[in-house]
Amino acid sequence: MNAETSNATMAAEHRYADELAQLARDDTAPRPDGWRLSPRAVRRFILGYEKLGVVRKFYGDDPLVDRAIVSLMSRQGLMLVGEPGTAKSMLSELLAAAISGTSALVVQGSAGTNEDHLRYGWNYALLLAEGPSERALVPSPVLNAMRSGRIVRFEEITRCPPEVQDALISILSEKALALPELGADRVETAQKGFNIIGTANLRDRGVHEMSSALKRRFNFETVHPIADPAFEKELVMRQLAERLEPEGVSLRGVEEVADLLVKAFQDLRTGRTAEGTSLNRPDAVMSSAEAVNVLHAAALEAAYLGDGTINGGHVARQLQGVVLKDSPDDGKKLRAYVDHIARERANRSAVWKDFYKTARSLKLD
Amino acid sequence: MSASDPAPPLLHIPDRDLYVVPIRHHSPACSAHLERLLAEVRPAAVLVEGPCDFDPHIPLLNDERTRPPIAIVAIRTSDAGDAGNRVTSYFPFCSHSPELIALRYGAAQGVTTRFIDLPSQSRAMQTNEAGVPPPSMIGDEAAFDSGDFVTALAQEMGCRDGNEVWDQLFESRIANSDWRGFFGEVGHYCACIRAATPAATIAADGTLSREAQMRAIIARVRQDVDGPIVAVIGGFHAPALMQAQRKSDTYTAPVASQGSGYLVRYGNRQLDALQGYSAGLPLPGFYEKWWEWHKANSEQTDPRIWAHDLIGGFAAHLREDNRAPSFPLILAAVEQAGRLATLRGRALPFRDDIIDAVQSTFIKDEVPRHGAPVLKELHAWLTGTQIGDVPASAGSPPLVEAIRAQARRLRFAIDDGETRQRNLDIYRKPTHREASRFCHGLSLIGAGFGERTAGPDFRNDVGLDRLFEIWSVSWSPMVEARLVEIAHMGDTLEQVVAATIAERIGDLETQGRGRNALAAIDLFASACRAGIGEGAIAILDLVEAEVIEDADLPSVIAALDDVALLRRGHEVIGIDDTAPIDRLVATTWRRVLILLPELAAIPADQAQPSVKALADLRGIIELAGSAGFGFDLAPFEQALVRLEGSELAPQIDGAIMAFALLDGRATGTGLAQRLRGELAGAYVKPADRLAFVGGIIAVARELLWTLPQVIEALDSVISGAEEEEFIALLPHLRLALMPLDPRDIDRLSAMVARKLGIASDALQSLLAISEAEVMANLSLDRAMAAKLANEGLV
Repeated sequence: MNAETSNATMAAEHRYADELAQLARDDTAPRPDGWRLSPRAVRRFILGYEKLGVVRKFYGDDPLVDRAIVSLMSRQGLMLVGEPGTAKSMLSELLAAAISGTSALVVQGSAGTNEDHLRYGWNYALLLAEGPSERALVPSPVLNAMRSGRIVRFEEITRCPPEVQDALISILSEKALALPELGADRVETAQKGFNIIGTANLRDRGVHEMSSALKRRFNFETVHPIADPAFEKELVMRQLAERLEPEGVSLRGVEEVADLLVKAFQDLRTGRTAEGTSLNRPDAVMSSAEAVNVLHAAALEAAYLGDGTINGGHVARQLQGVVLKDSPDDGKKLRAYVDHIARERANRSAVWKDFYKTARSLKLD
Repeated sequence: MSASDPAPPLLHIPDRDLYVVPIRHHSPACSAHLERLLAEVRPAAVLVEGPCDFDPHIPLLNDERTRPPIAIVAIRTSDAGDAGNRVTSYFPFCSHSPELIALRYGAAQGVTTRFIDLPSQSRAMQTNEAGVPPPSMIGDEAAFDSGDFVTALAQEMGCRDGNEVWDQLFESRIANSDWRGFFGEVGHYCACIRAATPAATIAADGTLSREAQMRAIIARVRQDVDGPIVAVIGGFHAPALMQAQRKSDTYTAPVASQGSGYLVRYGNRQLDALQGYSAGLPLPGFYEKWWEWHKANSEQTDPRIWAHDLIGGFAAHLREDNRAPSFPLILAAVEQAGRLATLRGRALPFRDDIIDAVQSTFIKDEVPRHGAPVLKELHAWLTGTQIGDVPASAGSPPLVEAIRAQARRLRFAIDDGETRQRNLDIYRKPTHREASRFCHGLSLIGAGFGERTAGPDFRNDVGLDRLFEIWSVSWSPMVEARLVEIAHMGDTLEQVVAATIAERIGDLETQGRGRNALAAIDLFASACRAGIGEGAIAILDLVEAEVIEDADLPSVIAALDDVALLRRGHEVIGIDDTAPIDRLVATTWRRVLILLPELAAIPADQAQPSVKALADLRGIIELAGSAGFGFDLAPFEQALVRLEGSELAPQIDGAIMAFALLDGRATGTGLAQRLRGELAGAYVKPADRLAFVGGIIAVARELLWTLPQVIEALDSVISGAEEEEFIALLPHLRLALMPLDPRDIDRLSAMVARKLGIASDALQSLLAISEAEVMANLSLDRAMAAKLANEGLV
């Protein structure tokens, strides 16, 4: 690991290596077989523990974290579902780092994922030279995790074709994988501590159904978007600061603009403004992660193409890119939002006025 | 908040042989330990925190026909605000209330048994911190749920709220035999809560005067009775009752002339603190099951079986509707609950662990924002549906008394069941208006008291100017039977109406999407007529949700029509604050604006409903203008202008053109040219030639006589048509002119006559034929038809 590498690209077990070491030293509670930390220490790692200077990393739903940890102790896998951008992957990374000491055993699900990615492949040169042998076998992250008794993460499981997904059924129920090429009776049995954390999006376009046989082998936890605007704003601003820091950019007016952005996102996400006016929700995903992206792009525009003051207009231009993604109707919905809600707010607030003025001139449908 | 650790209160004060037992209301663990205490101490007197004027109810509480949940309800006259403002509040008991255990023990043993708080009518019992009457007489439990001490402790223990803290520290110790240790710790815990409560709060909410009364009664009983005394007290007050009577403590006796409340049936739903009933505990059904499980299982039973039994019970409940989870799922849930309890440092899985375990294991899908059905079912099951019972001698419930009194005051005869007619002058006489609300309210709750035979009808826009409502009413025994049946829903007609409305809103919500906006608006109108429109605003949200998702312009316009009528009739149905309706009107209007551009995509053969909707829309806009709540027309015009620029089905084009003409955006000259082009168009079907003019007439038929160009264009086409062509056009022409009423037709024919230079009656041709001749011809016709039929020719 290169010391120069920026924080954003470091795996959780490296980024929080000190905290994990502290927690392990302090940990007296019993550990399940194969776990690096006790369940209680895992909980403290994710939800924060002031006594040891461990920061909170996941907000908004503490019982969900309890349930997730306990699910990983059971025979069931853990499936994190929810809208995109709700920190499902981050949570799975933190859980894997705390429980197994690594979050690197990961399968990225996509339309191109095949069974070899879940079981094992071959080094074909060796296979031709020696025939099927342990040396020629290339284990998948799943097989690696089984052998070492660790957690494997399976990202975006529903992006894989159903027949590939179903290869997990026997792995989850038998906790064993046959390697017939290495001998008729050769079976790899999972070491204690092995389990799978899947993340999935059940409602996005272009995802596959999960078979109910596979669903039965997971405990499902739904991660919801952050409901509290004050906290979302804090999160958005903190992440923006992290992103701008390496660029050495400082901006004026971020506070007001972040406020506008979070308000607009919450309005469009929930279909109702804080004042109680109803509106049509766009189909596009309006996650906190998208909010950060919008703010980041707006900030860059203000810094490099503007005068260093970010205003509502910058956000309006970037917001268009987020909303006009999925369905042509979304443009109309955004226009209705601009014409009615933003227009009304523009009378009362300068930042909304900038937003309204720019948004009105956008080509939205 | 920092405070030094208070000394734990003593449980037993030896020199007075007084046991001060700190409890949390409705706590099964407190009840179980109290039973142990009573069995061991065998007190000579049992004292319970509760209004001292409730003493007469103690024998009834121990009656074998009394089955909890029950409540003593006190109807108090609030001296704040206007006179005669009655406030009802409850003192509820369930089978695991320590108070009930104590009172029943005392009554059964025949020892002195008393309530020791201030009388229910006293001032300190009538107001809480905020200065408003609390709905419950049982001490407010907020300190247990959200006080500073409890919040901090919850954070420290990783619990989500004070209830979870209580469950973990105390509730799970129900089977422990050491009652001294248990109450000692409850006392200490409560003392900490009290130490963290600001002194000003304690002084302001009447706590001090209540404690003085309790000390005074304890001192009196001490003088009268030999032997141990047990006082069962909300934990918050326990530290203050350790002390002997102070000089300043005075005893306030109940006033004999004031009523001392009624013993009534109560329900688990009302006990559920989660639903805003402050005198309860969250999910009472859970604690009921915990209490029953404890009673049914000996102390030696492994407490882990409890989670198994509870989750199994829920699975059995689901099985009743054939939705049972598989056996491995039940096992997984039990296992999950156990592990969650271990992770959270508990001896056995408790309420939140079990709910979390069911959520983790039973649901194999994403949980939507509004919650999963299984979890809702679990909450309902853990709330319970139990309703208690009281002996008939307990008197009639307050609802019946209240409605009887109201009926008498409003001069309805209630001493016999005869049907009478009552004319109500609803605008000019306030009492008549009140009587109207009373009748509407009773019919809303299904009491079968009366029927409205005449009156203004805002919905059908009929009789809005009627000043009277006519009711046919009768107070039959069935009315009272119905009121007794629903007595648990509230104590006044208003409360019951509100509860009924809330229930119906719930029904509408579960019925889901679909065209129930109409039903919702009707419900809202009923609520308004019964005088609780303000409380039924939630219905409007429902309509709003419906409208906002509706993608069909005609149906949104129909909804706009309804809400506009509602807005216009607001006085008739008695809504003073129109803001929520205005908001709904505005949302619906915005929805119309958003959907208007869709008109461009409608093919010619499906244009009819949209054109009709546009015609309605014009009417609504005018109605709104005349009723004084106009719409924001600027965006409407913008949308129309955008539509004018796009390609439209001819009929819709005509309708849009009509708006343009009305607004003065288009002129007669442009129209004439366009009309001639359409009427003489080279369409395959003749009907298409008239579609455009049909659209204009549908929206604004007055253009036929205000814009001479329309008639001219029609005339030039008709006069230029060959006979065959004219015959082909004729039916469609008639169809296009259908919206005209007879007066319009007269007017139009007069214009045509003028244009042709003839007298208008010359257009009407009267056939000179006598009645006898008609009859003869008709009979000939019938004979002919019969003959043809006879010979098989028709």
